[in-house]
Amino acid sequence: MRIEISGLTKTYRGGVHAVDGLDLDIPTGMFGLLGANGAGKTTLMRILAGIVRPSSGRVVVGGHDITSGPGRTAVQRELGYLPQDLGVYPDLTARRFLDYVALLKGMDDRPARRRRVGELLEVVALTEHADRRLRGFSGGMRQRVGIAQALLADPRLLIVDEPTAGLDPEERIRFRTLLSQFAGRRTVLLSTHIVDDIGQTCREVAVLAKGRLIFRGSVDELTRRAQGRVWSVVTDGPAPAGGTVVSALPHDGGMRYRMVAAAAPDPQARQLEPTLEDGYLTVTAAGREPASRSGTPG
Amino acid sequence: MTAFGASLRYEFRMQVRKRSVWIVPALTLVLFVLIGGSLLRDLFDPGERPLDPRTAVAGLAVQLHALLSIGFGCLLADRLVRDDRLGVAPVLDATPASPAARLSGKYLGAAAATAVPIAVAYFGFAAAYAIDTGRPVAMAWATAAFGVVIVPGLLLVAAFALAVPMIMPAPLFRVLFVGYWLWGNLVPPETMPTLSRTLFHPLGGYPLDALFDFHGIDGEDTWAGPIAGATWNVLRPAPTPALAWLSIALLLTVSAAALAGGHALRVRRIR
Repeated sequence: MRIEISGLTKTYRGGVHAVDGLDLDIPTGMFGLLGANGAGKTTLMRILAGIVRPSSGRVVVGGHDITSGPGRTAVQRELGYLPQDLGVYPDLTARRFLDYVALLKGMDDRPARRRRVGELLEVVALTEHADRRLRGFSGGMRQRVGIAQALLADPRLLIVDEPTAGLDPEERIRFRTLLSQFAGRRTVLLSTHIVDDIGQTCREVAVLAKGRLIFRGSVDELTRRAQGRVWSVVTDGPAPAGGTVVSALPHDGGMRYRMVAAAAPDPQARQLEPTLEDGYLTVTAAGREPASRSGTPG
Repeated sequence: MTAFGASLRYEFRMQVRKRSVWIVPALTLVLFVLIGGSLLRDLFDPGERPLDPRTAVAGLAVQLHALLSIGFGCLLADRLVRDDRLGVAPVLDATPASPAARLSGKYLGAAAATAVPIAVAYFGFAAAYAIDTGRPVAMAWATAAFGVVIVPGLLLVAAFALAVPMIMPAPLFRVLFVGYWLWGNLVPPETMPTLSRTLFHPLGGYPLDALFDFHGIDGEDTWAGPIAGATWNVLRPAPTPALAWLSIALLLTVSAAALAGGHALRVRRIR
């Protein structure tokens, strides 16, 4: 399910430009969306989910224009959405909550609905807790309920906003694998702060800053953006100026800094191979550069 | 099942299982009986109770409606804002279900669940009266009074309880609602402006007067129509059956308008 976004703008009351003239094509498969807080990722996802109306621009999802009512409903029939900070009804059991959402998604056939809810509870490893009220669920368990509800109607488009927040490392890996397996011929739009999640699951990625696209390309291309700009600096004092500190580790009484900088931040600095995280920091530090490439990737 | 049906079913289920939905009316009734209780106790006193079952159950409807609607409104005050507060709203809003159908289901489901204890109390007292007096016709009158006096009033209260907390915190709405209920229903119209005895009176003065010929337990009161020296008498025409049905229709129309307003506010806020 291909997503074509052109000239998309969302301005909230008070004049806040959450999305500002965005042009973006999202192909079938896993697609990552990166950006700092306030970059416009959540607003973009809420627009794609039909919750928020754009101020201007065009968004076509699977051939449906979501700025029209019928187009929006058509997309929502094919949509699974896991919002950031998902909430649940504390007084329903996991099974009942999923049943409710399934009904709202138009899954009218009762045996099929029950079967699907059971399958998904199994997938997210909640079968034994299925009839417990959600009030007693931990954050991670609630997130798994959220993942299950997003997959209920076997959606062709899955939008997941910070899906691994609150999950322990094992659950995170499990969920990443689940997403990758699910993607296949579907479109999965994954927004996260955890760059590693993108690196492990997506081939294509976009980076937003202040509502604009500042990078669009492959994960490898994003990584290569930091080529020749990643340095290791060992020092007894503070990190040298002129770069972005990626990590700091204690080292022989001093500190070893991993830094992204256009030039060696210290005469003793040693160049390192870049990671995706370095690439992301390079792109965001460059700030308001135009998108690296546009059009449709393979 | 439609989105309306799903929403109605699950809102009913969630609300009816809330302990407060049962505790609040039960405590209200116990306190009321302890501090006097008038008709609730008189119904079982052969020397005091009305002999006409229609008058008895109409009087019972007035007392329980006036008393239990306060808790009813307060208990419903968080229902519409709750989805946003809990963070469930984005999941529901991203489904293809029509927002209007979901809202209608939520409104009727939550209101029906909150009204269950009121119905239990009302029909319980009415049944006890019918058995005690050997007048089963009281149950037929009770059903009619519940339908045309209590239900329209509760629907009006429910609509405002869902909609108004969109523009103010639910606790503030509860305080204002209790104030309104006492002002609107207990203050005599000649004392200060009030909706009491008007076509918009949620206690159902017009149906009580024109459809049940109810003039108080002692037959000496009136529940609708003009009062000398009162403001807003234009809203208090002399009661007739047609005006009773008009009053019910007005209550339902105002309910729908309040609900639509609340919905529009929410849509404007999230979009």
